[in-house]
Amino acid sequence: MNPPPSTTAAAAESGIADATRHQRPWLTTTDHKRIAILTGGTALVVFFAMGVLALLMRYQLSRPDNHFLSNQVYDEIFTIHGSGMIYLSITPFALAIGLYLVPLQIGAPNVAAPRVTMAGFWLYLFGAVIMLSGFSVSTGTAQSGWTEYTPLSDSRFSPGAGQDLWIAGVFLSTTGLILIGGTVLWTVLLKRARGMTMLRLPVLCWSVIATNLMVLGAFPALLAALGLVVFGRMVPSVFMNNIWNIGYQNLFWFYAHPVVYVMFFPFVGAVCEVLATFSRRRFFGYTGTALALLVFAALSMSVWGHHMFTTGQAADDYYSLTSISLLIPAGIEYFGMLGTILGGRLVYRTPMLFALAFIPQFLIGGLTGIMVGTPVLDYQERGSYFVVAHFHYTLLAGSVFGLFAGMYFWFPKMTGRMLSERLGRWHFWLMVIGTNATFLPMFWMGMLGMPRRVASYLPEDGIGMPNLISSCGAAVLGIAMLIFAVNLIRTLRGPATAPDDPWGGFTLEWATSSPPPPLNFQGTALPPITSYAPLLDQRERAAAQHGTPAR
Amino acid sequence: MFFHEVFGRVLTVESAIAGAVFVIIATLLVIAVVRRRATAARSASDRPGRNRLEIAYAIVLAGVAGFLVWFTASANAQDTQHASPAAATIPPQATVEVTAFQWCWRFHYTGRPVTVTGDCAEHHYPVVLVPTGAPVRIQLTSQDVVHSLWIPDLDVKYDAYPDHTNTFDLDFTRPGQWLGKCAEFCGTYHTTMDFYIRAVPPDQYKQWLAAQGGQA
Repeated sequence: MNPPPSTTAAAAESGIADATRHQRPWLTTTDHKRIAILTGGTALVVFFAMGVLALLMRYQLSRPDNHFLSNQVYDEIFTIHGSGMIYLSITPFALAIGLYLVPLQIGAPNVAAPRVTMAGFWLYLFGAVIMLSGFSVSTGTAQSGWTEYTPLSDSRFSPGAGQDLWIAGVFLSTTGLILIGGTVLWTVLLKRARGMTMLRLPVLCWSVIATNLMVLGAFPALLAALGLVVFGRMVPSVFMNNIWNIGYQNLFWFYAHPVVYVMFFPFVGAVCEVLATFSRRRFFGYTGTALALLVFAALSMSVWGHHMFTTGQAADDYYSLTSISLLIPAGIEYFGMLGTILGGRLVYRTPMLFALAFIPQFLIGGLTGIMVGTPVLDYQERGSYFVVAHFHYTLLAGSVFGLFAGMYFWFPKMTGRMLSERLGRWHFWLMVIGTNATFLPMFWMGMLGMPRRVASYLPEDGIGMPNLISSCGAAVLGIAMLIFAVNLIRTLRGPATAPDDPWGGFTLEWATSSPPPPLNFQGTALPPITSYAPLLDQRERAAAQHGTPAR
Repeated sequence: MFFHEVFGRVLTVESAIAGAVFVIIATLLVIAVVRRRATAARSASDRPGRNRLEIAYAIVLAGVAGFLVWFTASANAQDTQHASPAAATIPPQATVEVTAFQWCWRFHYTGRPVTVTGDCAEHHYPVVLVPTGAPVRIQLTSQDVVHSLWIPDLDVKYDAYPDHTNTFDLDFTRPGQWLGKCAEFCGTYHTTMDFYIRAVPPDQYKQWLAAQGGQA
């Protein structure tokens, strides 16, 4: 074991000791924690706004032949709901988790290249504002779906400025996220404290490595795809040639499948940390899980064509092979999670409830993912509500449950304040009911033949009942989110009384104060880093010396 | 009906596997939640992993993946036999050139002066007649944006592209009428871009075709 260096010495070495005395203002901060809070906070505001759009859609679809929203307004709403959630909310939130936690968990004073990281936040914020400003244009905002397929998105079929603002917004925010992903990857690979070897990185750090490898590998393809749309909006005859339309889809999905895992991995990492902490044991099957995350990320770059089975222009069997192969690393991740709780001593605090619910709910998303990865089933399910149900199980029932597990878990570290357990439980149970009531009936609607992105349906379509159940579920989800908002606001207005380590955490962020000082560990000596659970090791050593139980 | 049969068979097998996996994992989860709760006052295990078990499990997973890949690829081969003109064993009885447009469908019977279309507005949906008993070849294209032809009750869907034709065969073992929809978002009236496909016995189909051709 290498003796840990004193962090104050480390800070002085790099000539940034001055920064410890002067905290810069929020809008020009170079503190990774503040940049992460700005990014995650913006993403959370967008999340609430996009949730309101979802409620409008569910109100419209709650009964047949409803004309509460016109077709055009409905198209704008589903386009911005999907775009906002994916480009401006869940993806930036996922990256903000890594940005906040990685430097703390590896014992670093800050993120590498903090000004570049901050530029990333500003690009993301401007992109978000520009995309959403499309609502102020007289012809309306973008209305071709978050996928913006050509030729529908070119200037012949979508002439308005809203479409241009959408492209500019997505381009800027994605560029910003590439910067954030890049600096966080740089940090975790090259800024680790002495003793923090790669195989002592917490599971969350491994999930962030896999995430940011995908960001760097896949996100530029979106910029290229958007460039193609811009060109096509200037010269629409481009999209009279099939090659550019199918070419756009290949470029787009080369980005858009990996981004699904970008929106998933940091939340899996959060779930793993929460499961281990509240099972009062170190994470089970660490090496297998780290390996599985990397294999998953590598495979994710080869599966994009499974979104194109019905195009008649994709090698279906190849993409089916790579997609179905994902069940191997996914199964290994479940092995680690289940092994952890099966050998644990489980404590049911709010973060743990969200982490436990993640396990069966994400599983539904994963198992139906094999079905949509099967060409002969996809010929029915593609473009239907079955797919809508599938990806909401992965993104809402999976990722967002992981998001809340992490939110309740690290909120005291970020703010020095504990979120209310009582409101947290209400939030959790209403969210479980709301999520499943909203999205389980959608599998049924898809099988009954309801296409995605339709503004209304007829009584004789026979899909009134599942739609009504789904809309009631959405109302419950809305109430759950309101409770969370109340919890958040009440807690932030209360006194900062949270202890440094309220949960008995295992990783380095719990060894510093809540919230941590500007350079993370100044004034506190870093505990010796002996494994991926250094604080648990420390407690076990102390217990062995005193002959008392460690946990 | 061929797509429908393959779909049903594959869905049954995959649902059974998915159901079994869900039950196993849910059971393990319930066991952990009930028996490993802190109030049951056990100590947590400090075992960091079980590598041999994990490797054996990974091999089982790879076996399941291998089976699923083989199973779906062979099912897809049966479907694509019907989607690739070169491999068709029975010659098609009729060829219909389908053109999707914003926001309805046009069906032209190859070699006949017969075209069925509509505007899909106010419930004026085109009804395309096809014969039962032998394959009907569909040549699908689009004149503007990407659309997708979906007949939900037959479990078949192919995308319609401008400057590209997708060819596939449908077969109808019994007379009937099915609703077809557009399954790729294509603009404001995507919602109502429906049609009906009606299968009738070959004699009736020929009579209808002749009557239509006479008018043309």
